[in-house]
Amino acid sequence: MKWYEKIADQLFEPNRSVSPGELWFFKFFELFIVSYVIKYAWEWGFYAQLRNFEVVLPLGLANYIDVSLFFQNQLALVVAGLITVFAVLAFFRLGTKWMYPLVMFLLHMQYVIRFSQGEIPHSSNLIGMAVFCFTIGAIFFPGKKQMPRFVMGSIIFFVGLGYTSSFIAKMIGTGIHWFDGRHLWLWISEKSIDILSREGVYSPNFLQQMALKSTAIASVILLFGWFTEMIGVTLWWKKLRPYTVTLIIGMHLGITMTMNIRFDAFVIQLILIGYPWYKLLDSVIKTTPDWIERTI
Amino acid sequence: MTKSHSRRAMKIIGIILLCYGVLVASHKGEFWPFSIYPMFSKAGNPWTRAIVLDVTNTPDDEIWEPSTLSDLSVEPIAIGSYGVDQIDFSNFISKTENWTESRRNALRTMFGPGNIGSERWMTAKVNGRLVGADSVVVVIQPFLLVTADSVYVNPRLEESDYFRGE
Repeated sequence: MKWYEKIADQLFEPNRSVSPGELWFFKFFELFIVSYVIKYAWEWGFYAQLRNFEVVLPLGLANYIDVSLFFQNQLALVVAGLITVFAVLAFFRLGTKWMYPLVMFLLHMQYVIRFSQGEIPHSSNLIGMAVFCFTIGAIFFPGKKQMPRFVMGSIIFFVGLGYTSSFIAKMIGTGIHWFDGRHLWLWISEKSIDILSREGVYSPNFLQQMALKSTAIASVILLFGWFTEMIGVTLWWKKLRPYTVTLIIGMHLGITMTMNIRFDAFVIQLILIGYPWYKLLDSVIKTTPDWIERTI
Repeated sequence: MTKSHSRRAMKIIGIILLCYGVLVASHKGEFWPFSIYPMFSKAGNPWTRAIVLDVTNTPDDEIWEPSTLSDLSVEPIAIGSYGVDQIDFSNFISKTENWTESRRNALRTMFGPGNIGSERWMTAKVNGRLVGADSVVVVIQPFLLVTADSVYVNPRLEESDYFRGE
């Protein structure tokens, strides 16, 4: 067996039968993704409509299309409306298999419209990556025996890759001394200005105070995060996945505590993809309703 | 999913990975939702953010005075309460190189002239850097004074701080 076939076995588990619990879980996971897609589409649409005036930083397709056109005449809200309609149709498998591709394209547009102001947030990347995997799954792997495995397996592949990529970016950008605790001091002070700017007040929490008092403690916090990112690709192995995802969730809680950066959608999605929830469901569910069978 | 489907899935992931690489390489590491996740990769560098200060009651000859965070004597304005995203705002201030008339008006509109009312809001750049082996210094530099109908640049700064040319 070749190395990539071994990885494929871990990600897609071709020898395991599709169970009712897996189908229930998959549809619930899809509902989670579609809900966030609709939430983001409207949040980004309203913000772009009210606050965006000029393109400060073109991202993605905004390098080729003047997205300032969408700042007026409610066009960003029209895009949000279209995303909502196509996402609902895709969820219920109504219309063609091109519903998810349309959602993917429009959501990318909505992202670059909203974030043409200079910020490049990553908090929505996992949701976007999931939509992308649903897109590929809908085109190449439709049906209940293939789609859940492809979608979940490919999401896990790209999530694991993303964390390790972040580790490598730090190694290239700074080098082995990246985890020097004084770097955390700089980031804490930077984020404290963001909080002060947003809320008018700021006071460091217990963990930030500890990190600011001791370079060693700050270094240990950074080293834990960096190590966790490095082993991101171990998510690909199903036996290691729950342990790795637990470490990653711990890392995100640490980032929230030390740098006031919340990744709610990221963490919820990690909880959903990191543990074998289908086993729990299979212990209580023995059948799959017709509507779930039809809509996978 | 059969073994052959599983192999096909890996081939498709390989093709996606290739497209992923090409897109992020040609778009500075970001082509949503593809990313190399470079956040915090360059550690130890000085940073610049922005803040808004209420200088309505500050004497004119003091409003352009820089200060450190610990010496700050005026109240910051919570821009989140006006619906402004503070990261967007910071990037708008720090990444704009040419403060044209339209860019200044965009800033005023971002806050909302109705929210400013009769007050005077000072947009300040905030710079942080490591000093020596064990401290971080944060300096607040007044930059643009915003009122309901005008935006004034700091007269003590060089023109190149506002216009770097095309």
